[in-house]
Amino acid sequence: MSVLLTLAAGEWRFWLRSRLVLAGFIIMACVLAVTSLVTVTRIDAVQKQRLEHQVAAEERFLAQPDRHPHRMVHYGHYAYRAPGPLAIIDPGVDRVTGQSIFLEGHRQNSAMFAETRSGAVLGRFVELTPAVAYQVLAPLLLIILGHSLIIREREAGTLAPLLAQGVRPVAMLGGKALALASVILAMTVPLMLLAVRATLNGESAASAFNLVGAYTLYLLIWGGLILLVSTLARHRGIALGILAAFWVISTIIFPRLAASYASVTYPAAGKIETDLMMARDIREVGDGHDASAPTHDHLREQLLSDYGVARVEDLPVNFRGMVALASEEKLTRLLNQYADDQMLREQQQAALVHRFGWVSPFIALGNASRALAGSDLAGHHRFLREAEALRFSFVQGLNTAHAHDLSYADDANRNRDDAAMQQARVSAENWKVLSDFRFTPSPPEDRLKAATPFLMMLTVWAAGMLAVLGLAAGRLRP
Amino acid sequence: MKRPSSLLREAWLLSRDRAAIFWLALALALSVFSVASGVEEVRYQRGELAKLIELDEADRNAELARQSDWGGAAYYAFHLTYDPPSDLSFAALGQRESAAWKHRIRMLSLEGQIHEADAPNPELALAGRIDFSFVAAYLAPLLVIFLLYDLRSGERAAGRMELLTATAGRAESPWRMRAAMRIGALAGCVLLPLGIGGSVMGAPVAGLLLMSMAVVLHVLVWWALVALADRLSVASTTQLSILVGGWLLLAVLVPATGRILVERAIPVPSGAEILLAQREAVNAAWDLPKEQTMIPFIERHPEWAEHSQIDAGFDWKWYYAFQQVGDQSAEDISAAYTRGRLKRDEAARLSAWLSPPAFLERYLQSLAGTDVRSVIAYEQSVRDFHAELRSFYYARLFPGQDFRIAEAAGLPEYSPAR
Repeated sequence: MSVLLTLAAGEWRFWLRSRLVLAGFIIMACVLAVTSLVTVTRIDAVQKQRLEHQVAAEERFLAQPDRHPHRMVHYGHYAYRAPGPLAIIDPGVDRVTGQSIFLEGHRQNSAMFAETRSGAVLGRFVELTPAVAYQVLAPLLLIILGHSLIIREREAGTLAPLLAQGVRPVAMLGGKALALASVILAMTVPLMLLAVRATLNGESAASAFNLVGAYTLYLLIWGGLILLVSTLARHRGIALGILAAFWVISTIIFPRLAASYASVTYPAAGKIETDLMMARDIREVGDGHDASAPTHDHLREQLLSDYGVARVEDLPVNFRGMVALASEEKLTRLLNQYADDQMLREQQQAALVHRFGWVSPFIALGNASRALAGSDLAGHHRFLREAEALRFSFVQGLNTAHAHDLSYADDANRNRDDAAMQQARVSAENWKVLSDFRFTPSPPEDRLKAATPFLMMLTVWAAGMLAVLGLAAGRLRP
Repeated sequence: MKRPSSLLREAWLLSRDRAAIFWLALALALSVFSVASGVEEVRYQRGELAKLIELDEADRNAELARQSDWGGAAYYAFHLTYDPPSDLSFAALGQRESAAWKHRIRMLSLEGQIHEADAPNPELALAGRIDFSFVAAYLAPLLVIFLLYDLRSGERAAGRMELLTATAGRAESPWRMRAAMRIGALAGCVLLPLGIGGSVMGAPVAGLLLMSMAVVLHVLVWWALVALADRLSVASTTQLSILVGGWLLLAVLVPATGRILVERAIPVPSGAEILLAQREAVNAAWDLPKEQTMIPFIERHPEWAEHSQIDAGFDWKWYYAFQQVGDQSAEDISAAYTRGRLKRDEAARLSAWLSPPAFLERYLQSLAGTDVRSVIAYEQSVRDFHAELRSFYYARLFPGQDFRIAEAAGLPEYSPAR
């Protein structure tokens, strides 16, 4: 054990003497401080703002005057996606997706106005966040620190005497590994602080802990790789070249290659094409605005026989409202079918990207991180589903008021003149069918489950690295 | 020493350098992949447009055939507007990745429609795709670094430095030629696929030449930076660390910081506010006395003043008037949104002088017509088309003309600017 500590301490002394390493440390510390500050401020502001908008939208809806209920169906409502507490580490897809959806009758709008759409076009790296600092920059610092761990001893001619003095190769690697691991642990301190802050803001300790754990594992994999290359390469230049190549390929090239590959393999139909296809199907469902359309004949027969009357005017319910209810339901089934197809397509694309995690630990960690923070694709889909449930519930609530609180005669005559229009309305009390909407991340166990495949990939990477390192130690020659 | 033979010797040396061959092969592979996927994407977009133009016309004709008045025709007939990809856009997909380049527009309030966009898969948008501009702007500099950093300091470490300098005619010449050889090979590997892709797409030669020149200049800038680092006479590993650090600074940190600063300095109203203003105006109009809609409408369209009396509870004239008044009430904020985006783009253009990669990428996008200006120009063409639609329908709605299907054939047709 003392040999390990001596070797590790020696490495630390070397690093502290080297200006390059010191500069690297200072730059990394600055980048971490700045990205953390910027991200925390932004996410806090965004969280507050979206909650305010959500509450304001609810108040505006409830404050609407007495109206024809169908006017409120088109007046509509908004759902805002607030980021979870761990978004201060990894905001994930937040900037590239719209943060709000306009909800109205007969339509499923998409989330609009992603921040990237009005952003300044500068560079390809969407956003600098603590997540990016740890995923992309930290490995680079580790490479600079560690590529010469063993080679240096070899080049300086100190490896042979050390081994001759009876330092076992495994202890040799162990001491160097300990030095690198201590750097990694020191680097994760800011991450832990951010995780603690998220916990104080209501995040589950388990998710925060898993997130920190995943990042640590990721950096340890890099540490192992660096040590391995340093053990096997003959020259420092070669070691650095190999490591830099791996960094470029796994963090810069693979994620984009995977994205291009996925979008060419599973091209997604655009909204307009889907809308046109849907328009064809909708003509079959029938227009809910036109109660006399032949598509509603069946409903009319059904209601007339149920209530035992001969004319729709004699029904105890407003036939137009009943049509609105029934066609919204049929239409929603159709809309959901298209929305499910779209989400499925996106998941297929994502699944293809995920497989690249086996060759790029960066991709594995990125997905684990977003899954644990609740800022991944699945989180966005959950938002879309919850927003749709909200839409359907208030629209049908309003349609129910249309069917039961507004007489068929008043409704049918509403366009005759202004007085008739005044008559065809229901009380604003009915607007209370709108329920509160607060988007929160899914429960921690669900997020852990979503992250499991990626944590598994990281574990396999780490285990493989350990095994290969063990083999390399056995063959360590001066 | 004759030039050609030394050139041949350097070429032979290069072909024996396994590391250099690896980097050059990677450059070629990435460039081929980026150009091929760009060409594939542009073909997909063209195919998609051809299909949509047909579907759209069929849908419109089906809807028009069912109509009995001009108001209903205007409500149910949609019109496709689109910005077809330019012949160069395969090289820089640019804003077409996130901004809308196709819409289906009808006579309703335009602000409620023009901001609709295909939502891209966020998981893919996060990484972004590889297109040629990414390879040329962000990866080529790294390849320059990897190809050159070791040239001199490597020889120094191997102890051949003195020998080489002594045998060469001038102290600088063997390095210059060796470096030039590698830079030339890299430029060739990056540009060859561009040329092939360009000829497959029938892209204009002038545009391709400008693109190639910009890429060569960019590579030369990075060569100069490597030469500068070489002056430091430090160990090759330190040099590589410094150079990769420099890439990180110029390609990642400077643009990202620039973007944060630009976005802080130039606020843009959130798009959701435009929709909110428009929606409040349109929905409130149902409950307001009809004159409150017709007066601001007639201010814009005095030619319809004598037909602006509304007597029925519902009249299409009034309905479309309040759609237009809805646009009018969101006009200021919508203009501020467009202005803000243009100002941000201008500020980004200036900041890009600090980052050669960002500068090159923006330049390639402007050549390909996939920059922010092209997006806004397209949006303007949609606005113009919508205005044409309005004057067509107003001329029939206000005088109270009967709907005739034959006349509907005279509806304005959208034609893209390029």
